[in-house]
Amino acid sequence: MEPVLSVQNLSKNYGLVQALKNVSFNVPAGSVFGILGPNGSGKTTLLGIILDIIVPLGGQYSWFGGMDAVAARRQIGSLLETPNFYHYMSAFDNLAISAAIKQRGADDRIAVLEKTGLLQRKDSKFQTYSLGMKQRLAIAGTLLGGSRVLVFDEPTNGLDPAGITEIRELIRKLNSEGTTIIMASHLLDEVEKVCTHVAILKQGKLLVDGPVADVLRSDDLLEVKAADMAGLHNILQSMNGIKNIQAVSDLLLLKCETEIKASDINRYCMDKGIVLTHLVLKKKSLETRFMELTN
Amino acid sequence: MSSLLAIEWLKLKRYNTFWILICFFIVLLPLWNYCILSGGINVSGNGMKLINQTYSFPGVWGNIGFWGSLFVVLLSILIIILTANEFTFRTHRQNVIDGWSRLQFFHAKILLVFAFSVAATVYVFILGAIFGYANSGSFSSMFEGVEKVFYFFLFSLNYLGFALLASIVIRRSGLSIGMFLLYIFIIKNILKGVLNFTNNDWNVGNYLPLQSCSELLPFPLFEMLKGLMKQGPQPTTAYVLASIAWAIIYYFAGRGILLKRDW
Repeated sequence: MEPVLSVQNLSKNYGLVQALKNVSFNVPAGSVFGILGPNGSGKTTLLGIILDIIVPLGGQYSWFGGMDAVAARRQIGSLLETPNFYHYMSAFDNLAISAAIKQRGADDRIAVLEKTGLLQRKDSKFQTYSLGMKQRLAIAGTLLGGSRVLVFDEPTNGLDPAGITEIRELIRKLNSEGTTIIMASHLLDEVEKVCTHVAILKQGKLLVDGPVADVLRSDDLLEVKAADMAGLHNILQSMNGIKNIQAVSDLLLLKCETEIKASDINRYCMDKGIVLTHLVLKKKSLETRFMELTN
Repeated sequence: MSSLLAIEWLKLKRYNTFWILICFFIVLLPLWNYCILSGGINVSGNGMKLINQTYSFPGVWGNIGFWGSLFVVLLSILIIILTANEFTFRTHRQNVIDGWSRLQFFHAKILLVFAFSVAATVYVFILGAIFGYANSGSFSSMFEGVEKVFYFFLFSLNYLGFALLASIVIRRSGLSIGMFLLYIFIIKNILKGVLNFTNNDWNVGNYLPLQSCSELLPFPLFEMLKGLMKQGPQPTTAYVLASIAWAIIYYFAGRGILLKRDW
């Protein structure tokens, strides 16, 4: 299937600072595409360029296989950095402007305000909203007219824990209904929880991109211990499927092929007459993987 | 086109500042003229009333055009506030994110400039007709000198276009208003004086931004004095062309900046 968004060799400088360096990737239709990176890695610049807010130094992007960019934006709901609304107008009136620009009827304003829990405050002026409510209103705005694609920059910024969960649920639900979602985040945990694909940026460079399972995959580690450590070391060396054995203080750290399970190790040692006193499967944390990637 | 203006209207209709400034314009302009006519406000020399002579046709057009031009400053400030607000609250970004092109955003503001200019011109025309009729007793010579109303339109277009450009360049409301007022009241006059002093034959200073259109609507008293001093006729056509040229320059400058700059 044609990618929803295709980005080729985007570059951007702010004075002497290179904010983006030749970034290219495709966003598959139907994915939740996370753009992950530490603060200042170029995430917002990247989103700004694909929404024509920022002028790139070089490179191209195309939506929906080359649709006119302005027409494409009317089918995209975006939340960039901060919620931007007319402070003297109510939520309801503000959404009327967004709907008019998107060339959609203003009929689904009630529905999107209800989805984001703002219906009761629809007639309050934007300037009376709390930070979290402003963020919710911005998300409500992106849902107007049933967008094909949603672009979110740090969507859970400023929300309380309940709000964060709600928004994640909303993202999952919309995605299951077929909406493609592109979101920038510096929160690994968030990306891991909701994204199907990820691109990792560091200092404007694209380090890696692809399905989350591939990019963030890491080998599992097994910790084992027995009374007879030398014997244990000995027999494990001859076991198939163990890639690496490392002695760390009083235990052994095993790196195994994926098909080897903890139970296989246990049974193998039993058969060889060694009883394990300690057997722990250690998943390498996402943070460790992220640090590996970005360092 | 009409949809751009319709969306601008959605932004305007809930904005109190807009209504307040428009009300000031609508109420104060006829009130001011009435006070001059009735002698409440006057420039007098030796007990002679000097500026209340001209509220009958055809003099009323030049008179009301001049006083109207002062009130255009109010509308210019409104344009600056409306545009700078978009930058301050980043709604200019939201408009583009939601599906306007950058050019559509700019054209919506240009249309606002035109709409304000047309509305103000129509209002000045109606006021002129009423004052003129009240003081002439008939409409017989009404269309004599009515080109001053067209000059007023050019004047508004120049001022509002310049104000739009200033707010696009500076982006901040307070600073834009300050620079705008500084230019029209101080800098423009200094430049005009210097240029006209050094280029006496050509009066280059009269063609400065916002000056060429002011030359079209001179202070009625000065016009009378110039007549007495038997000065040659003013190069009106040149001022009209210069004003149109400046308006076009403001358009392309604003457009160029908005298309090239990061938002």
